[in-house]
Amino acid sequence: MGEADAGDGAAAYNYARFDDYVAAGGDVADEAAFWASPRAGQAAPDFALPRLGDGGSVSLSDLWRSRPLVMEFGSFT
Amino acid sequence: MFIYTREAHPGENVPHHDSFERKLACAKLLAEETGIGRDILVDDLAGTVHFAYGLMPNMTWVIGRGGRIAYKADWTSAANVEAFLERFLAARGEHPPGTMPVMYESQQAEFRYPDRKRFMQRLRRNGPRAVAEFEKAQELWAHRAGP
Repeated sequence: MGEADAGDGAAAYNYARFDDYVAAGGDVADEAAFWASPRAGQAAPDFALPRLGDGGSVSLSDLWRSRPLVMEFGSFT
Repeated sequence: MFIYTREAHPGENVPHHDSFERKLACAKLLAEETGIGRDILVDDLAGTVHFAYGLMPNMTWVIGRGGRIAYKADWTSAANVEAFLERFLAARGEHPPGTMPVMYESQQAEFRYPDRKRFMQRLRRNGPRAVAEFEKAQELWAHRAGP
């Protein structure tokens, strides 16, 4: 991870200005992406992500294997 | 579990992520300031997991044992999630002999009552630019809505 990830896709995803993002229709595209995402009853996409604190790799499927998993997505706002 | 994505309203104090190291630093700051007790997983800089699950800034998904999606909402309402979990877990508990719960899919609009004061506090925390850009975005949304 690091600078190698800071390509055009990452730069567009991590927009610098919210008003510019809205002006370009980014918020509308995000809503469309949500409704195009997998539906209830379908298989959930599985990934491994680092855990804040110890940096350990956590597989989502390991978390939902034994009990239902609640995943909240977010940031400061 | 909480997945840290991108800063929806970047500002002078909490900027957009231009490296994974900066993203980790912002996630750490968020954990310190909000006291999130759950594990926080950090998505990669390109937002790979966020893309896969639909890009909304404050959403919640529930995945059942075995990896089937049970619930998705484009906004997080703790009360709504808790009510769903209660029904979901009940369906997986004991049921009368000869009966078997069968899953069906529903879709309905829900309503939330934004805490404007708290939201503005969070914007100010991110920086004056986050406030100004949100105000400009509101003008854009009003223009979209038409007269």
